[in-house]
Formats: sequence, C-alpha cells, structure tokens
Amino acid sequence: MKSRFSVLDGALRKNAVLAEGMVIAPIVVCCNTLPKALILSLMFACITLLTVLISSFYPKKLPFAVKVVLYALTGALVCAPVSLLYTYLNYASIGIYFPLLAVNSMIVLHSELYFFRLRRRVMLPALFFHIAGFCLTAILVGLVREILAYGTICGRAVDMPLLLQGFSAPWAGFILLGVLCALHRNIFPKE
Amino acid sequence: MWIFSSFLSLLADNLILTKALGTSTLMTASKNRSHLAILSLMMTLFAVLSSVLTMLLYQCIPMLVQLMTFPMSMFQPLVYTAVIAVVYLLVLLISYWIGGEKSASIRKYVHLSAFNCAVMGTLYLYFTPDMFLRGDYGSAEFLGFQLYFSDPLGVLGAALFGLQTGFGFLLASLMLLAVRHRLYSQEVPAAFRGYPAVLLYIGLISMAVHAIAA
Repeated sequence: MKSRFSVLDGALRKNAVLAEGMVIAPIVVCCNTLPKALILSLMFACITLLTVLISSFYPKKLPFAVKVVLYALTGALVCAPVSLLYTYLNYASIGIYFPLLAVNSMIVLHSELYFFRLRRRVMLPALFFHIAGFCLTAILVGLVREILAYGTICGRAVDMPLLLQGFSAPWAGFILLGVLCALHRNIFPKE
Repeated sequence: MWIFSSFLSLLADNLILTKALGTSTLMTASKNRSHLAILSLMMTLFAVLSSVLTMLLYQCIPMLVQLMTFPMSMFQPLVYTAVIAVVYLLVLLISYWIGGEKSASIRKYVHLSAFNCAVMGTLYLYFTPDMFLRGDYGSAEFLGFQLYFSDPLGVLGAALFGLQTGFGFLLASLMLLAVRHRLYSQEVPAAFRGYPAVLLYIGLISMAVHAIAA
C-alpha cells in the first residue's frame, strides 16, 4: 500500500535535480546569486505548472511523438504570458535559460512517464512538490554560490573572510550540485 | 596547427562544459559506446537541421526578425519549438519509412535527442539580435523568393554551428565514457558513486576549460 506521504517525495526523496538528474543546466549556470535563483524558481514554477496542467487534458490515446510535440508547443505557448511577468518584474536576468524552461525534461518526458499516469487529484500535489523540490535546490545553490563568490545575500554584504570568485562560474555549479547530490543520497539512500 | 585550434575551440565553446546544455542527455549517452555513437549522431542531426531550417525561415520571412526584440520575442520559443517539432516528426517518419518496425531501437534515441536544451540552445546561441542588426545584407533569388543574407555564410554558417554543437557533445561524451567505469566502481564511496561523481568530474573538466578560455 502506498504511503499517503509518497506525493511529498517529489520535494525531497525523489527531488527532480538531486535524485532524478533533470533540469540541471539552469541551476548550474544561472543560480550563481540568490536573486537569479529566485527568479528562475518562479519562472520554472509558472511554466511547468501551467504546461503540465494544460497538457493533462490532452487525449491519452495520441501517439507518443505527437504528445511530446504537443507538450513542448504548450510549454512554448505558456512561455509567452510568463515572459510578460519576467519582463515586468525585471528582478534578475537568466538569459537564454528562461525560454529553455519551455522544453525542460519535466514537461517533455517526466510528465508522460510519471504525472499523467496518476489520477488528477494525486497528480496535482505530486507536481507541486516536484516543482517545490526544484525551487528548493535552485535557491540553496544560488544562496551558497552568492555567499562564497561575492560575500553577499541578495546584494547585501555578509561577513566573509575569504571570497572565491570562481564560484560564480558554471564549473562551481557542477561541483556544488555533485556534493549536494551525494549529501542527498546519504540522507535518502536508494531503496 | 588548425587542428589544435579547432580542438581548443570545441572545448572553449562546448555547450555542455561551458553552458551545461544537454547534461542529462550526456549522462545517457555515456552509458556505452552504442548509446554514445547514436545519440551524438542524432544530436548533431537535430542541431544541424534545426539551425538550417531556422536560417531558411529567417531568410524567407524577413518579418521574423521582429522575434529578436520585445514584445515579439515572447513568441520566439514557439517558433523555435515548432521548427524542432517539424524536424523531429520528419526524422521519425524517415526512420519508419526506411526501417519500419525494426527501427524502434533507433527511435528511442530520436525521442531523447529532439527536445532538449542542447538543440534548443543552439538556436538561441546562433540566432542573436547582433546577427540581424549588423546591416551588411547581401541578397539573392531562390525559387522565386528574395533571400537576404544577414550573415556572410548564411545557411552554411548555421549548418556549421550545428555541427560544432554535435562534435562538442561527442567530445564531452567521449571524455565521460573514458572514465565512467571508474566513477561507478566500488572504490568510490557509495554516496558519491555514479551521478554525483559524474557531476564532480564534469565540473573539474569545466574548470579546466574555463581556465583555457579565460
């Protein structure tokens, strides 16, 4: 019998980034400051939530290829109004990684392989917690990298004895993510 | 000497090592040699065909240049996704036509290669506003359409950029394939074995590339 708390797994135990290895690129490159991580999380949440919700109404009997195309096109279409929010907020720039969120693997593949096999009342909280898991990871990576690279949190200086400016580069994103994955595996070992 | 400089540029402009685009697909590609060969070929095919098709679209419909500036840039993801979708369905149809049901093993690589950050990122990285604002237009007629060349190499330049993406992916996959068995061995602590070790390895290579490119 499945635990009623299994839908919560998406945030921690089955975290999309740390456990499943999805949507790595925006976190590695964009999340080098907390403001960027926050805006990335918001945009990812808006695009993924809306796209998966809309796509859940498409007929399941369509061929797989047609469904994948429809999901990607829906994501791109949802990107249009969300980009208005992104431009309006003008809080931080995430460059080309914003439009790339439209074809992230949670929308294109994971939705078909996991979310759409659940009943809608189970799918919605599962989707919410998967998105929350991504946002948690992005914010954590952004916070650590900003502190280590610039000695600030959201632009406000903190007392850091040593700055490692290289931590703003993509390589530090890979290394930090690798360490977080190992930590995650230690806390939530594979069953 | 040009081979050495070409190799350096493949590293310095590598989509995976410098921009982390296509990392998830890279993990799948590095599982074994057959995955590596077929996925690299598919990624290159999609990158080249998408870039060429997008360049032809910009040249045949000059109004599409509006996509480079706000507010029309809101629809840029839709146009690029539609281009990749056309290429994806075309490749699937051709694989069905050539191989029939036997090409099912190839088609799973087509599904993995189509809609990923590397292919989409190729389009965003190549078709930048600078390209269209340069202003040095040449023109020619092709099948009754007036084509405006906003880039000296035109379609060839787009195809070469797609090839660069594919070769860069192949290079990164080869680097990972070479050490994969060590990263998954029992000598690596359990918490780091596999996926975390792969990320650390890519990070170290990326650090070296960052030093070369700086």
